[in-house]
Parts: sequence; C-alpha cells; structure tokens
Amino acid sequence: MRIVIIIAFALWSSIAAAQEVVSIALLGLDPDPRYDEAIAYARIENGRQGDPQIAARMAMEDLLLLTDARGVNIGFSAVRVADEAALPTATRQLADSGNRYLILDLPAKEADAVAVALGPNGPLLINTTAPEDWLRRRCHARMLHTAASDRMIADALVQHFVKMRWERVLVLHGKTDRDIARAASFAEAAARFRLRIVATREFDLSTNPALREQNNVALLTGDIREYDAVFIADSFGEFSRYLPYRTALPRPVVGATDLVPLEWHWSLERYGAPQVNSRFETAVGDSRRMTWQDWSVWIAMRALLTAEAKSLERDPNAIEAFLRSDALRLDGSKGAQLSFRPWDNQLRQPILLATANAIIGMAPLEGFLHQTNTLDSLGVDAPEFACD
Amino acid sequence: MLRAILVALIAATPAMARDTGRIFVSNERSHDVWVFSPDFEHIATIETSRRPRDMKLNADRTLLYVACGDDDVIEVIDVETLEIVDSIPTGPSPEVFEFSPDESLIYVSNEEDSMLEIIEVDSRIVIHDVATGAEPEGVITSEDGSTVYVTSEVADMVHVIDTEAGAVIDNIIVGTRPRRFILTPDTNELWVSAELSSEICIIDRARLEIKEVLQFLPPGFRPEDVTPVGMALTADGARGYISLGRANHVAVIDGFTHELIDYVLVGRRAWSIALTRDETLAVVVNGLSDDITLIDTASLRPIRSIPVGQVPHTVVIDD
Repeated sequence: MRIVIIIAFALWSSIAAAQEVVSIALLGLDPDPRYDEAIAYARIENGRQGDPQIAARMAMEDLLLLTDARGVNIGFSAVRVADEAALPTATRQLADSGNRYLILDLPAKEADAVAVALGPNGPLLINTTAPEDWLRRRCHARMLHTAASDRMIADALVQHFVKMRWERVLVLHGKTDRDIARAASFAEAAARFRLRIVATREFDLSTNPALREQNNVALLTGDIREYDAVFIADSFGEFSRYLPYRTALPRPVVGATDLVPLEWHWSLERYGAPQVNSRFETAVGDSRRMTWQDWSVWIAMRALLTAEAKSLERDPNAIEAFLRSDALRLDGSKGAQLSFRPWDNQLRQPILLATANAIIGMAPLEGFLHQTNTLDSLGVDAPEFACD
Repeated sequence: MLRAILVALIAATPAMARDTGRIFVSNERSHDVWVFSPDFEHIATIETSRRPRDMKLNADRTLLYVACGDDDVIEVIDVETLEIVDSIPTGPSPEVFEFSPDESLIYVSNEEDSMLEIIEVDSRIVIHDVATGAEPEGVITSEDGSTVYVTSEVADMVHVIDTEAGAVIDNIIVGTRPRRFILTPDTNELWVSAELSSEICIIDRARLEIKEVLQFLPPGFRPEDVTPVGMALTADGARGYISLGRANHVAVIDGFTHELIDYVLVGRRAWSIALTRDETLAVVVNGLSDDITLIDTASLRPIRSIPVGQVPHTVVIDD
C-alpha cells in the first residue's frame, strides 16, 4: 500500500521541476540556562519538559504529503551547543552550509547575538522561545517570532481582567530580569484598559526575618484595603506555587500559577488541538505533553513548509515574501488564521488562558475588537510600535 | 445478538422507506442523537456511544448510521423504532464516512491515525487502509463508486483515491484546513470548503484541478471570521447553501454560476446543513449555540431556532 503511494509520489515528483533541498536547522543550547533544574526547588515543572526539536520533525511529517506533492525536499538538522561562546562558530557553520532557515530555541540575548552576527544577508531566523519585548524592538530584518511576546501574554490576561471586572490589581514579581520584564509588560497592558495597580511588590524566596515584608505571604499581600486579583510574575515558579489560598484577602492569583496565559496547552479541546496533542504524544513516546515551546517550534516549521509548498514560487525571495504576507493563512489548530505582523515580525495568534487542566478562555476574548484584525488586540500595535 | 435482531428485523419487514419525515441531530458533547417530528417537535433522544458526529442514511432510508468518535464505532439506528440495532467497529476516532454506491462498503476517515479505512459492511472486516495526510476529514464517493475523495485538514490537500486499486492516485492542493465536500449533479464539479482560508475551492473533476475559488464576506464581518465548513446543494444543482462558521451566516449561491444570492443570519458557528426533500427548508446546525436554525428557502429568511443537545455536529432528514 505504502509502496503504491510512494511510487505515485515519485512519478509526481519527477514531473516537478527543480529537486533542490531546502535546508532548515534548529539551533539551541544544551544545557539551556532557562531550564536549569537547579533553579527549581523540588520536581516542579520548570518550563519545557524536553527538546522541542521533536515538534519540528512532527511538522515535517504532518506536511510531508504537501511538500512531496510540490517537489519540495526538506533537509533538517538540530544543533545544540554547550554555551554562548560556541554560538558564533556554530551559527556561521550553519549559514555557510547553506541553511535557508534557522529555527532558534535560544534565550533572547543569544538570539539577538545570532541575528547581529549573521547580518542582513544571512538565513531567515525564527525565534521560537524568547518572549522578550525588547527583542522585537531590536527590529532584526531577518528575524521572525513565533513565541508570543510578553506584551501579547499580558494583553491576553488583561482582557480577562476587564471581562471579569477585576479592576484593582496587586502586582508581585521576583528579582530576575525576566520577572521584572513580565511585570512591566503587564503594567503597560493594564494601563491601556485603565486597570488600577494598587501596589507593585517584589517577593523574596528566602526565610530571612529581615526581609519578612517580601517573603511572608500575609505581609506581602496585606496592608492594602482592597484588590480584586493578584498578578504574579515568577519565571521559576517556586514562590508562586505557594501563593494561592494564602493571600491576605481571598482573591484569585494569576500569571505564573493557577491561571496562566500560554501559546499552547494540552487541555485545548477544539480546533483540532486534541489531534495535534495526540500526534505529539505519539511522536515523543515518553508521555510528556506538548508545551508552548513545542507548539512554537512546530508552528515555525509549519510556517516555513507552508510557504515553500503553497507560494507556487521557486525564488527564495518570493517564498519569503509569501511567508511574511497575509496570504500565508497558517493553521495553528487554535481556530484562527495566523500570519506575521509586518511591523514587528511577530506571529499573530490567539493566547490560551489555562489552568492546570482546563482552558478558561482564549484571547482575543469576545468583545475585544480591533480596526483591522482582532488578533492585533494582543501585543504592541503598529501605531505604538517603535524600534529601539 | 444485535446482529440477530437486525437480521430478524430485516426479515420481518421488507426494507422500504418509512418516510417518517423525522429530523436527526447528532450532539458531540451530550453523546446523543435528538429526533424531531416533521413539525420540529422534539420527540426522542437516542443515547449513543461517545461523541456522535457524522450521520448517513442508507439508500432506502430505513437505517441511520452514526460515527461515534470517542468509542471507535459506527452505530446503526432504526429510523422507525429509534433503537440502536447494530454497531460497526472502526479505527480510532471515526469522523466522516460515506457508503459505496451499493452500500457494501463504508469509507471512514480516522482522524487520529491518518487513514481512510474501508470496511465491508456485511463482514465488519476492514478490507483496506489507505494512508492519508494528517487529520483526514471529509469523505465523498463518486457516483459510480470508482473514486473516493478525502480531505486532509493538516496537509491542506484533497486525496483522490482509486477504490479498485485502494491507492491515492492524485493529490490536489487546496486552501487551509479543508473540511467537507459537495459533488454537483451534472457540472462535474467537486466543491471543497477550506475553513481557515475562508474559501470554497471548486475542482474540475475531469482535470483534477481547481478551476475557481469562492470567497464570502457577510456585511459587518472580516475575512478571518468566515470559516466555511458545511454545504448543501439542491437536487438539480441550481442552488448551494454554504455555512460560514464563525461569521454566523449561511451564504446562498447559484449552483451553476457560483454567484452570491444572499446571506442568511443563523446561530453561532454554523456548520452542517441539510435540505428537506421538497427543498422548502434548510436546516442549519449551530455548534456553539447548541441549536438549529430553519431557513425558509423561498424568502431566504431564518424562521425559527430550536435548541438541541450539546455541541451539535450533523443534521440528517428522513423525508
């Protein structure tokens, strides 16, 4: 049976004109400091659960019939280097060996360094796991982003606040740059909808009595007359997991625990998402579930393959123009047509508001409108966007 | 046991259409099929296996087949007694299916393992699996049974399957997330709804190429709100009804020229559509508002919305 199909495709492919190989590489760190197990205290799920390159391979398998039918041959390799110092050489080698696209699974600083090193004539880069707003404002012409930006994540949550009329917010954050950036993005998003941030406080993980205002939950969340919800930015997850049900006022805790805005979650039941999750779980084989990082790599590969197969072009510049255009109409199994925003090269996409086992909402929430595309109610819009 | 009952039933009563006029709606989330009388009174709820989706009547309209996605089975309902009289095991997650013209075979898409499964109805044996792109959905058989068309929602293509060879003989690349099919009676066209590129691709069946792409935009909506899935065509092929999903409308078009006639407002996320045999009513299933909308086809106005079970999927009318 398979043989018959393969023969059919072989015939088809032989008719197709050029049989060039389109090379795509995934570049990452191993170990990646963002997922250092030493950071998290005790077995908590700290970020992603495994290497997302499996998601890139799954996207290739998903679209194999399509790329075959168009005579597009894909070569894929995954390269992980030990540290930042090894990145420039690895990057240069990947570019010199003819990779047309690099899928980056790197922290923002390293992704930025790769873009600077390759310059305006290098391969097209897709940032899949760095949500930092500042990386968008760097305006690298040859970098697209499938990771949702911090601001998109914050806007999704703020839409839920507005819908629920949680108008007074206590903001908590950790000491790291990531936590401070997340809290700042939340503040920007909150300002757009005139939510009132009643206090912004930094928490501390120690039990040092001298720091009890920061490490005692009752004190940290007390001495405020009223708030409707607590937003916490905590990329390690160690503090936030002990916060719910202990706040001085009995209020929901969101952001890094309980209700978390994410690109993807296993419990999404609509739009073909269950099929994507089950294909992933079959492919990965060790019963781990598809995380937002996996989805982000999967959609990056899907975007590239879709542009290669559906643009009806062979000229790389024309394929890239299609990839960046509204005609891409990418399906990410979130029920919306996805495409890249021209002003910040960011993939527009719905954001899930997930608990441990349910999707509470999917932003843009109903009633949040935009003059051209409701997905642009999430993230920095064209008129507000400026490069650094 | 069940088969024995079925055999007894068939033996006792000559197979013939009862013309009950009943309307059947499958509900994915409440795991049942709601039955309405011809004047749309809710007369029965048939509990099925989990997640009933596509439904088809046999040719003499005595039996209704229901694909139950979470229990991997196609159940068979007696249209007159409203009892489940049989069940046919399938591969994982059956979604949409179609009979061969002589009803000896069922072609069913298995969403989970990317196969078109060919099941012999009498023996219950899977006689063949045809590998498809990921998430196969829409299935339709050509009039002579020689060809089956299947969509792959992820690979964005229509597979053309030769039933004799049991093999894919061609692939047609269509819009994003292709869903369902219509065959036109005499213009040799295959219509495919592409949910996420907001298009109906019209394929010339002789050349197996897209000859026209239709797009719709009801007033006040944006292109990305238009997510077409379900379609229905009058028997003479003169008029088509296309559900526009999140745009909450049905587009009514001329079946030959493909020109738009009108938009009709229905419920939330309109999907499956069926016409009564006299074609005076179109029944539209609204997946997110758990109801059906009746459209008067003469005036092209919605005349009534009627609640059904949770997450209705497909409507079938026996009249």
